[in-house]
Order: sequence, then structure tokens, then C-alpha cells
Amino acid sequence: MRLSQKARLLSAVLVPMFALTACSGGSGGGSATGSGGDQQVKLTVWSWDGTVAGAVPGFQAANPNIKVEVVNAGSSQDEYKALDNAIQAGSGVPDVVMFEYFAVPYFAIPGKLADLGKYGVENFKKDYVPGAWSDVTVNGKVYALPSDYGPSALFYNTATLKKAGIDKAPATWDEYYEAAKKVRALGGDHYIAQDTGDIFFLLSLIWQAGGRPFKVNGNKVHIDFTDEGTTRAVAFWQKMLDEGLINTKITGWSDDWNRTLNDGTLATQTMGGWLTSTLPERAPKAAGDFRVALMPQWKQGDKVGAANGGSSFGIPAAAEHQDAAFKFLEYFTHGGGLSSRVDAGAFVPNTSVLDSEAFQSKANRYFGEQKVGAVLAEASEIVGSGWQYPPFFEWARSVYGDLASPFYTTGKGSLAEILEQWKQRCIQYGNEQGFEVD
Amino acid sequence: MGLARQVDVTASAMASPDAAHHPAPSHKRRKSQIGLAFIAPFGALFALVFIVPILYAVYLSLFQDKLIGGNTFVGFANYGKLFQDPQFWDGVGRVFRFTLVQVPIMLIFAMALALALDSMRVHGTRFMRVTIFLPYAVPAIVATLMWGFLLGVKYGLFGSLNDAFGTDLDPFAPGTTLISIGVMVTWAFTGFNMLIFYAALKAVPRELYEAAAIDGANELQIVRAIKLPALRGSLVVTIIFSIIGTFQMFNEPQILPSMVANSGVTTFYTPNLYAYNLAFTGSQQGYAAALALVMAAITITVAYVVQIRGLRNAPDQ
Repeated sequence: MRLSQKARLLSAVLVPMFALTACSGGSGGGSATGSGGDQQVKLTVWSWDGTVAGAVPGFQAANPNIKVEVVNAGSSQDEYKALDNAIQAGSGVPDVVMFEYFAVPYFAIPGKLADLGKYGVENFKKDYVPGAWSDVTVNGKVYALPSDYGPSALFYNTATLKKAGIDKAPATWDEYYEAAKKVRALGGDHYIAQDTGDIFFLLSLIWQAGGRPFKVNGNKVHIDFTDEGTTRAVAFWQKMLDEGLINTKITGWSDDWNRTLNDGTLATQTMGGWLTSTLPERAPKAAGDFRVALMPQWKQGDKVGAANGGSSFGIPAAAEHQDAAFKFLEYFTHGGGLSSRVDAGAFVPNTSVLDSEAFQSKANRYFGEQKVGAVLAEASEIVGSGWQYPPFFEWARSVYGDLASPFYTTGKGSLAEILEQWKQRCIQYGNEQGFEVD
Repeated sequence: MGLARQVDVTASAMASPDAAHHPAPSHKRRKSQIGLAFIAPFGALFALVFIVPILYAVYLSLFQDKLIGGNTFVGFANYGKLFQDPQFWDGVGRVFRFTLVQVPIMLIFAMALALALDSMRVHGTRFMRVTIFLPYAVPAIVATLMWGFLLGVKYGLFGSLNDAFGTDLDPFAPGTTLISIGVMVTWAFTGFNMLIFYAALKAVPRELYEAAAIDGANELQIVRAIKLPALRGSLVVTIIFSIIGTFQMFNEPQILPSMVANSGVTTFYTPNLYAYNLAFTGSQQGYAAALALVMAAITITVAYVVQIRGLRNAPDQ
């Protein structure tokens, strides 16, 4: 009796353990490579994008020999960790994986991602907006296909701007600066925007101004925050902060941020196009007040943009069914799977979708029946090309917060000094990690 | 004679019922085997979730896994680097300062509450006990969110107070964030420590109080001469628990930055947070493992010193 109880206890502990091991090695189970044979192939797809599952039935109907299993491996950070572990362990490597754009070089440079050149993806180039294509290209080779995009756009609250005596969206950063002063003159908590050290915003500003602070070439990374575009963007934002035109007490995505968006005290947000899908949830009380415009320009008459966020899908070099995986990748990001995703609300960088009448003419109720798609499509096509993230950006952005925080609380120092310190830290870390950084 | 023999047999049977049937050595061996069988499940789990991870951490700490170049054996280089890492010592210094201030405040609160409940002059003892203990049952993440709203200057309680009195107090300014975290931790753990003290007080024989009262001692003297000495053992235990808890501080500084702007919380605010960030955003598992082991050694040392010093000359230990 006692023994059997103990055995039961032990098995209760051990069974799930073995089950886990079995799961993680699951995709390694005997099956054919390639897609020519009649044998069933099982693909494992890792993603946190909710629209993946919706594309699976259509794909399986067209490819009866391929079965797709979608696994949510957690947040992007969790997923990268799990992928690194699987690659290191040599088992349980998924066939298709989702990556934020800045994470592509992190996996591509050490050779952990398959070069998609053998599938002729070079021909796809014209089907995507140039910025997204450059995001998945590392050292001239394509390692992933873009799946969703975040062109920077200006979201502005017409009611607040009107109160400040402004009747249209600022078209240049000079106009933005003047508008900021008028909004601030409303008193209280009225600000044109908030910033507590948002590196993605600062980089999009630099990006749009023509700065290219990171130059990646194989293992070599060159960092320079003193080129003309970077200097101009940084000096502008420094001026905005110095003159107290930016709220440095409200941090993005916090409860306070939601409230200030709701009550209209934050007049604008320069963020990725994806804000169209979350703003209605975060600021329901401001429904009808917000509109979307292109990012303000550095020179009147220019049309240059930048990106902020977005992601792609690639195939690990250690994946077992690479040919079948590419079939799914193509279907999901380029072919028949697109329509179901667009219907589900995905913002894709495919010109076939962005240029379509249906996408461009759809009115958005939250944004006062504005045809938001047309604006974001234009914002996508004008994203400045040639931008690169360092392969260790995930680490770098967490450290940026440490360095920027003292400046944002005390006002002592400057953004340029922070960027210089950041560069030094990146050089040290990058070299420790085996890159050649200078 | 017959009777005597009978008595003899009974006596030996009573002394050791098994001894009559089994020779001593095999009996001893079997007994210890049964003991082993009983602790085997514990031993297996202990090895699996405690010993193995520690050994694995020791192993990891001797390697450096580079993004380019892969995993290389580096000996004790990670430890050498750690001892010269100002960020690590910044975090260690912070948890030490925190321990020196927060732990005494919390334990004095807990002791005062336990003495009040034990004095039997408080009504609704059971209700009070549960109420004070309740914060301990609130998950740290929920507690941090709650206190974040409460202490928030924008829309929280402090915001209203600042508006009402025209003050400009900010509990989450870089200089005061640690104090605010101290408030959260004190709120969460006072009840837990109070229960330990309360249990110790309950174990004191009531006759001692009667005897003291007959000798003419007042309540204060009873507290000083009987109750506080009775709490000494529990005090050492609670101090050690608190030190371990503080040195492992993670949840509060991990969550705060997403709620409050520029609270001064860095990626290396506490050693535990630093280890987490090293491993999961910096891909420096080896370095993080070395940090964890050094921190464990520091924690064990401090806890051990406290125990030795705390129990020296203790009357009943």
C-alpha cells in the first residue's frame, strides 16, 4: 500500500517530466525530409502573432502532406531564449520562427538562420516596401520575410490642438516645435508628447533625419552618433526637452499614459502604425478626436519616414524540414495566407495589400472616419532605407534605460552624452561577445 | 522456577520485542534501510531541484558563451570580472543598506503587534491576526501594482495629497524609491513575522506570568523579563529569513519601471535583477551563474554570522 502510494507519487512527478522532454524533442521524430515524397511532414511554427493560426487551415488544404503546429513560445524575449537553447541542444528546433526586425541580425550573423536566397526570394523584393526588405537583409543576404510593419506616423488629438489654436497637423519638426509651445501654454499637464527615454522613438527620429549610427558588416559593427542626421535629430529633441515642452514624468504604456491620452492632455504621439490597433483600447474616451498623419518632416516638402517596431519570420539553419517550412513562410507572408491576416487586423508590408483600393479606402471609425490605411501605406513606402540595428540590440536597449534615466530625472547632462556613453558600453559588450566593434 | 523463567521471557520480550527473533546486526541494517526508503523521495527531489541546479550553475560559471565564437572554458575569469564590476557592488550595497533599515523596522512592528495580541487586551484577536497576516498572501506582483497606484504622484494618493497641501513629494523619485520599496516589503511581511513571534509567546507557560504577578511585576516588567527573552530564538529566525528575502529582492524593482518613469531603478538595481538581466537580455549565462553563486555565498555568510551572534549566550539554546 505504502509502496504503491510512493510509486504513484514518483510517477506523478516523473511522467510530466518525460512528457516535457518528449515534447521538446517531438519535431525530431522520424519523418522524411523535403516535400517530394508522400510522407506526412509536420512543421512547428513559433510565434506570438495571433494571425498565424488563422492562416494554417488554408495552407493545409493546399498542402495535404504538411501539417502545421503553431506554438506560442511566449514573449519575444522568451522565444529567442528558447530558440537559442534548442539550437544549442540540437533538438526541438522549430521550422519557422517569428523575429522582431532588430533580432534578425542577432540570429543571422552567427549562422543560426537559413539564407533564403536558395528559394529565389530576391524576386520578392518588389512585393515589399523597401524599408521592410532592408530590415530582413543582413550583409546582402535575406534571412527572413517581413510579416508586419511599424511605419512611424504622427497620431494627433485634433481637439487638444484646436484648443491650442492649431488647426492642422504639424507638417515639419519646426511646426511641431511651435505647436509644442502653444500646447504647453494651455497650462496644467498639457504637453505635445511624453518621453522618459524611449530609445525606439529617438532612433526613429535619427533614422528619418538620415542618421545611420550603426553600420554592420559581417562581424564588424561600427557605431557613430556624430553623423549629420543623428546630430540634427538629437539636437532637436534636446531642445524640446530643455525647454520643458515634453512631459518627462509619464512613461509610455503605463496607466498614467492611458489617462493622459484619454483626457487629451497629451496632444500627439509619434509611434509605429501599430498604434492604430491599440489606441482605441487605451484611449476610448478620445474616440473621434485622434487622426493619423505622416511624421513631421525635417524640410518642408520632403517625404521621408522611419520605422518603429515590426516583425518577420525566418527558418532556423538547424530546422529539419526547410523546404516545407519555406512553403509555409511564402504562403503566410507573401501568398494566399495574406488575406486572412489582413482581415484579422495585421498591418503587412506587402505592396499588393497596401496599394489595394480596399485597404486604402477603408474608413476608421475611431479616427473620425479617416482613411487611415492610405496614410500608413504612404508612411510605409517612404521609410528611409539602409537602416541597421546592431546584432546585440536587445541587450543595448535595456542598458540605454540605465544611462538615460539620470538625465530624464535631473535634466543634467545631455542626450549626446548619453549616446556617447551608450556607444562605449556597446563597444565593450560587443567585443566581449566576439564582434569587432568600434 | 517455572514462574521465574516465565517472567524472564516476558521481560526480555517487553524490552525489545524484535530482539527475541532477530540477531542484532541485521536488525540494525534493516532499520536504516527503512529509513533510507522513507527519505528517498525527498532525497531524489532535493537532488533534482536543488543539488543539480547548483552544480549546473557552478559548471556554467566556468564558461563564457559568446554570440560569435561559441562556448569557451574561461576558468574563474567570470568571478574575477564580477569582483571588479561596479554594477554588481552597487546592487550588493543597496540590498545591504535596505536590510539595515527595513528589517529592524519591520521586526519591531511585528513584535509590537504580537505582544499586543498576546496581552489579551485586544478584542477580536483572531480577526486582527488574519487581517495583519493577509498582505503576506497577496502576490508580490499584485502588491507592487497596488502600491504603485497608491504612491503615484500623477493620479495616486500622493498626487491628491500634493494637490491638497501644495507639496511636491514623489515617493518614486530616484532618491526615495528604495524607501517606497521598503514600505511595500514591510507591509507584505510584517504579518508573517508577527505570527512567528505570536506562536513563540503562546508557548510561554502561563504560570510564569502568574508567578511574576504574585511577585508584584507590572505588565512592562513581564514583557521585559519574560516575553522578550522568550522571543529571542524566533527573532534570530525571522532576521535570517528577512536577510535572505532582502538579498533576493526582485519583483518590486522588476515591475516598478513599467509603472513609473525614471524611478532610478536600473537593470542592476539588486543582484538578483542584475543576474536576470545578464542571463536573459545579455546572453551572459556564465557570468550570471557566477553572480548567483557569489551572492549565495554572501547571503549564507551573513545569515550564519547573524545566527552565531544572535544565539550566543542564549539561555535556552
